[in-house]
Amino acid sequence: MKDIHVDELLIEHVRGELEGAEAARVDAHLAACAECRAAREQFAGLMADLARTAPPPPPVHWGAYRVELRRRLERGSSRDLGGWLLRPAAALVATAMVAVLVYAGLPGGLRGPGAQDPLALDGSVLASRLDMIARLDVVQQLDLLEDFNVINELDELPEPSKS
Amino acid sequence: MESSDEQLCRAVAERKPEAFDLLVERYQERAYRIAWSIVRDREEAKDCSQEAFLRLHESAGSFAGQSKFSTWFYRIVVNCCLDQQRRRRGWRRLLGWRDRRDEAPDAPDPVEQAAAPFADPAEGLDTERRMSRVWALVEELSPQQRAAVTLSCREGLSTKDIAAVLSLSEATVRVHLHRALNTLRRRIGDEA
Repeated sequence: MKDIHVDELLIEHVRGELEGAEAARVDAHLAACAECRAAREQFAGLMADLARTAPPPPPVHWGAYRVELRRRLERGSSRDLGGWLLRPAAALVATAMVAVLVYAGLPGGLRGPGAQDPLALDGSVLASRLDMIARLDVVQQLDLLEDFNVINELDELPEPSKS
Repeated sequence: MESSDEQLCRAVAERKPEAFDLLVERYQERAYRIAWSIVRDREEAKDCSQEAFLRLHESAGSFAGQSKFSTWFYRIVVNCCLDQQRRRRGWRRLLGWRDRRDEAPDAPDPVEQAAAPFADPAEGLDTERRMSRVWALVEELSPQQRAAVTLSCREGLSTKDIAAVLSLSEATVRVHLHRALNTLRRRIGDEA
């Protein structure tokens, strides 16, 4: 403590925090040093002004504050480790469920590769590419190509039975 | 007879909700004010002070009673604020934003670097204007120095308690306070 210059102890002197030999050292110095006496008075005035004139923080509705705190307490801190670990897992589960539901809702959805209607399966795979929906013109052209294939293969179709 | 903070904290550890409610009512304004003095944002200050109460609820059993409850709790508040600022700095770095203090953490105190404002001697400076200027300079302090000034002048904490709250040595707190208040004092002297 003896290495500390007296002027660094003036704030604690103002606050009455110094004791024993330290307080006596500062007192003795102040008795002999007009400059430090003036500094001490200025610190005392400044600290009193700071305590008196501190700008208040923006107002808060304390009732609402306590209700919000109670809610946070009931659902657990949003920043606890469990919450952070569970969030990605929940997101993955939700994404998977949405994907299954979208797939199931499409024509031919939930049919395996060995299903009876390969065209419907192809259509559902095609439709599952959601970006294709944004390019409807391309999809329509694919439909035209499909019609063209049917026309090409007309010869191979079994002739209707003549009754 | 009214329960002491320490008694209430022990009751919180025993999961008595009314004790927690009482502590919240006693400390909500101080917690919010200290948080605001560090983060300077209403919503963040609310969030940090509430987070401090949640941590208090979780860890009331770890309060050993070796310090005052207020010192222990203020430390939680300050830690919540510093955690929040670290997270924000992390995001800022990730997004490529730069913070003046991130670039030069050891740079001289901005209060000491601030240019003396032009003051019209004909007008003079009344107390209100002078203090407004002083608080504007306080705004430019680092969060820890601002917290030290606030805890000292506004909350009336001793150097020892401030050191405990800010996890600093008493010598460091003494230097922080001395540098900050000395600079403010010189500014006032220059402008008077």
